[in-house]
Amino acid sequence: MTNDVLIMRGVTREYAVGGPFAKKKTLKALRGIDLTVSRGQTLGLVGESGCGKSTLAKILLGVEEPTAGTVLVDGRPLNSYDRLERAKLIQPVFQDPYSSLNPRMTVEAIISAPLAVRGVGTRASRRKRVEELAAEVGLPRHLVDAYPSQLSGGQRQRVAIARALIGEPKILICDEPTSALDVSVQSQILNLLHRLKQELNLTMILISHNLAVVHHLADEVAVMYLGQIVERGPSEEIFERPHHPYTDALLKAVLIPRPGSRLPDLGLQAEFPSPLNPPSGCAFHPRCPYAQADCSRIAPATRGEQRSYRCHYPLNLVEASLTSAAS
Amino acid sequence: MRGEPILEVKGLQVEIPVEGAVLRPVRGVDLSVSRGETVAVVGESGCGKSLTALAIMGLLPRAARYTCERITLKGEALTNASPRRWRQLRGDRIAMIFQDPMTALDPCYRIGDQMREILQQHRRISSQAARERSLELLRKVGIPSPEERLSQFPHQLSGGLRQRVMIAMALLCEPELIIADEPTTALDVTIQAQILRLLREIQRDTGIGLILITHDLGVVAGMADRIVVMYGGEVVEVGACDDILSRPLHPYTEGLMRSIPVPGQTKRGDLLGFIPGIVPRQVGERTRCGFIDRCPYAVESCATGPVPLSAVGNGREVRCAIPAEKRDPQAWNRLAEAS
Amino acid sequence: MTVAANSAAPTIDRSMSPGRVALRRALRHGSFWVGGFILLAITIAAILAPVLTHHDPTAQDLARRFLPPIWADKGSWEHILGTDNLGRDYLARLLYGARISLIIGLFTVLISGVIGTALGVAAGYWGGWVDLIINFVVTIRLTLPVVLVALVVVALIGSSLSLMIVVIGLLLWDRFAIVVRSATQQVAQREFIIAARTIGSSTGRILLKEILPNITGPLIVVASIEFAHAILLEAALSFLGLGVQPPEVSWGLMVSEAKTQLLFRPWMVAIPGAALVALIFAINLIGDAIRDVTTPEGRA
Repeated sequence: MTNDVLIMRGVTREYAVGGPFAKKKTLKALRGIDLTVSRGQTLGLVGESGCGKSTLAKILLGVEEPTAGTVLVDGRPLNSYDRLERAKLIQPVFQDPYSSLNPRMTVEAIISAPLAVRGVGTRASRRKRVEELAAEVGLPRHLVDAYPSQLSGGQRQRVAIARALIGEPKILICDEPTSALDVSVQSQILNLLHRLKQELNLTMILISHNLAVVHHLADEVAVMYLGQIVERGPSEEIFERPHHPYTDALLKAVLIPRPGSRLPDLGLQAEFPSPLNPPSGCAFHPRCPYAQADCSRIAPATRGEQRSYRCHYPLNLVEASLTSAAS
Repeated sequence: MRGEPILEVKGLQVEIPVEGAVLRPVRGVDLSVSRGETVAVVGESGCGKSLTALAIMGLLPRAARYTCERITLKGEALTNASPRRWRQLRGDRIAMIFQDPMTALDPCYRIGDQMREILQQHRRISSQAARERSLELLRKVGIPSPEERLSQFPHQLSGGLRQRVMIAMALLCEPELIIADEPTTALDVTIQAQILRLLREIQRDTGIGLILITHDLGVVAGMADRIVVMYGGEVVEVGACDDILSRPLHPYTEGLMRSIPVPGQTKRGDLLGFIPGIVPRQVGERTRCGFIDRCPYAVESCATGPVPLSAVGNGREVRCAIPAEKRDPQAWNRLAEAS
Repeated sequence: MTVAANSAAPTIDRSMSPGRVALRRALRHGSFWVGGFILLAITIAAILAPVLTHHDPTAQDLARRFLPPIWADKGSWEHILGTDNLGRDYLARLLYGARISLIIGLFTVLISGVIGTALGVAAGYWGGWVDLIINFVVTIRLTLPVVLVALVVVALIGSSLSLMIVVIGLLLWDRFAIVVRSATQQVAQREFIIAARTIGSSTGRILLKEILPNITGPLIVVASIEFAHAILLEAALSFLGLGVQPPEVSWGLMVSEAKTQLLFRPWMVAIPGAALVALIFAINLIGDAIRDVTTPEGRA
């Protein structure tokens, strides 16, 4: 327990959808998430639209409350912390550098805001801290007095990272931190996150749909599909021997910028299901190329601890005890 | 996939007057596409690739002016084509697929109506025949229950389906050329693979020329026959796809390839390569190499004047004054340390 | 062997704050200058009224009634714009009347602005029930015909300058509320608002420091519209005899008192009428310029 900074058990989040005159439907954004993250670890959360990763981030940031389940941070329930204590625990870096900074505030005001809100230090001492952090994140010193409109996307993202780190949070949640940036800038920011992670021994949750990025930065990866975690384990293992067919498809879908690359045939049937109407049994069965009859009837439970998966007929298993491992 | 040339563009320039200066986001771009060929125009934001496509389609914003030596579509010169001619060509001979399917389709009209409108604009065709043709194409792009889709509104379809509808709409009049501007950037990665395969298949069947505009080198690797790399409004490298990917000649292309993590090749935990600095603003005339501020190999002579695009054999062209032999292999590492 | 590109130590251009950028763009706008000039001229004339004329706008001189203005024959420099039916100097009445118009405009905009902005921000930020209730209140307000309500209040309580300001201020907040509500909704969706919550900002702090500074554009435009609206409303009420009362001066009152002279001495109606037109025109030009300037034109 002491080494686990974050423990989520059975976290569920449902929304009632439909106005006063429509039939009430429930959107199940998260369905029973169990997740633990240890101190200093980087967890990559991978999934596509509708998988619930943004909802998960919002719950961790305290922007939303789970419908069911518990979230423990540093041993205490998340909602037992007040607003300011929570701010000291968990900080975000968002995807869109153009809307995550207040265009009417200077960079200094933006970065020092977490301290100013808590009334920490004087203006001068906060300014000094801002300058230290600007140097940490590689932001040229003269930009501290600038407005966001004068900064490039990469520079803005550095400001966002500086703002997140100035309060020395325990957990950093990066929600697609490089997706909105140019390719040549993405690697700059990834290198920065990598360095900060090591220097500050940060616990980081990296949410991304880009598997190459996740593989590079994350120690462990959790794959999400329609509100559930369908596979989890150390990065290298997941990438070399995925167990869940969805993980397999995601990996095949990564297009490699090398000569001779071919477009993959994922063999996925049908269209994306909607979280309003999740399929029966295993959520992935309508699209799964290896689905069998019972996949549509019985929802698979999570098997395994550190290396877990949620599938009746997992791939690449070495154990002989599991029969009909589809190939 | 060599065939007859469909599109030839020479010396395309786009200027936008802004307060007190003239922006030149596109400077002297040459581009050509042949039958059945996929040409990828690769670059990041600010390189001018989207404006180039819009100029080719005659869709530039009003504030922008463009000049060019020549634009020919299957032999017909379009350099001074009237707006009426452009309207005839768009959707009929040249079709465009945009990035965001959520905003590219009109939310107020049903899919069937939008498709019929395109057909009836360019062909004398009855509503019934238009409906048949629409269904045919919806099936071709792999949309399930096409009859239902015709009477649906765009918001009732998912992103992947909407993009397929866009592709179907582009194909309605059997165009010779399709320009796809970041067609899969807004889509999920598993859908992206399917859409790209679809485009490839259609191209093989019909011999359409495809200009694929993207910043994603992975997409390029799987789709393109030829690559045109743009930086700062100029073409900086041209060549066959596999050729460029295995041996990039321009420092910018090199830098791009070094900065992308590849699972299995880039070692986890290593620092990624990067290109320091940011893309500069494109104002005024070129007096020196456009990449000089970020280039690891730059020398004094790179600043003396603009660098021309030169052919280096095998269909390759590159805009760099420093040949491969004269480049220091440690230059990138030194640049990384200095930043 | 890299060539150092920018060898000069970089500094930041401090004049790039969004407010100053908008101001600079406004100054380049032709309408802004024309409208601003007219408004400034009227304001200065109103402030310097005692300097510009030695006449008392309420001083009657029955021996000198209906004197024509300087451009008609028999006009004199003594009364540049002539006199009215009670011998009061017209220029003096015009200048002092300007004060009333400007004061009314300013204070009613302040009152209605505060009310409307508070309601609009609340509806836009919290949504849900708060939004429903406020929308209901706005709808009720919209069903009230402003002029009639003002008439009724004035008829019941009597009229004075301060009462008029309060009444008009309490009636003209709806446009503020509607525009501020949608502007707030747009701003509230942006990620820096979520960021503000995650760093622990209280709701009050978010509303004041994050939301309000980002809705000033539409707010100023609405303020200019309502400024003009209030002035016209006052003129209408005074014309009907239910606004400013004699011996106070108001342009609307001047038009009302001169309406019987419309065919014989048209200048008596035209002069205060022209003044009203000029003021409203100027305010609209300024509002146009600000609207053009604050319309986002694409990313920096």
